[in-house]
Amino acid sequence: MQSILAVDDSASMRQMVSFTLKGAGYEVIEAVDGQEAFEKAQMQSVDLVLTDQNMPRMDGVTLVKNLRGLPAYSSTPILILTTESSDEMKSRGRAAGATGWLVKPFDPSKLLEVIRKVIR
Amino acid sequence: MTSDAVERAPHGRSGLDPAEECKRIESDLERLKALIHDAGERLLLSFNEVAALLPELASTGEQRARVIESLHAAVTALQFQDMATQLTEHAQRRLSSLEERLRSESARTVDGAQSHPPHPVRQLGMTAGSIDLF
Repeated sequence: MQSILAVDDSASMRQMVSFTLKGAGYEVIEAVDGQEAFEKAQMQSVDLVLTDQNMPRMDGVTLVKNLRGLPAYSSTPILILTTESSDEMKSRGRAAGATGWLVKPFDPSKLLEVIRKVIR
Repeated sequence: MTSDAVERAPHGRSGLDPAEECKRIESDLERLKALIHDAGERLLLSFNEVAALLPELASTGEQRARVIESLHAAVTALQFQDMATQLTEHAQRRLSSLEERLRSESARTVDGAQSHPPHPVRQLGMTAGSIDLF
């Protein structure tokens, strides 16, 4: 079973993401912010990371940068799922090494379509 | 209050100091956040109950597909809680900054304009957002 690390400081968002991913057969590991996600990612290898941008302690773009610094995550798909929609923020995500930028709210079918496209 | 009284009021219609008015609005926003949180939690509970009944609700493939489609639509709509909370917190931060400016001497200076962090939520509805793959 492929595993996805879902990162969001909003409990309701984590629940919506988990419902969508588990329903499609993925194992879901949850983290409440970038810091916790970074720690969990080092303890357990995952096939994809789906992260929010605005979070306490460590934001999404910083998480992407930190994960890309780990050999195990140099090519793992990392998607940022956020309310932020400015071109400037998207550029920052791209420069950090994100695989894609998805603006909330997400449509479950479209999210799964994107995940199937980028996950290995 | 007569129109003369309004004109005489030192700080607008309510007679409140503008900084004090900001504080009251901040308090209203806090209540709004609590209401959104409560509504979101209740909706999530109902959503989970319905989702758990999925095997019983749908005996055929077609029925199952229809129920899943409805649940997916609910997943998109239920994200309002996160978006509304972020928007409310952003408004509170701006209001708090305005309150500080109003309370300080620098509010009277010409270069009193302050920069704010980028707006976190620009969406006007709950249709699904854009997707960019790099």
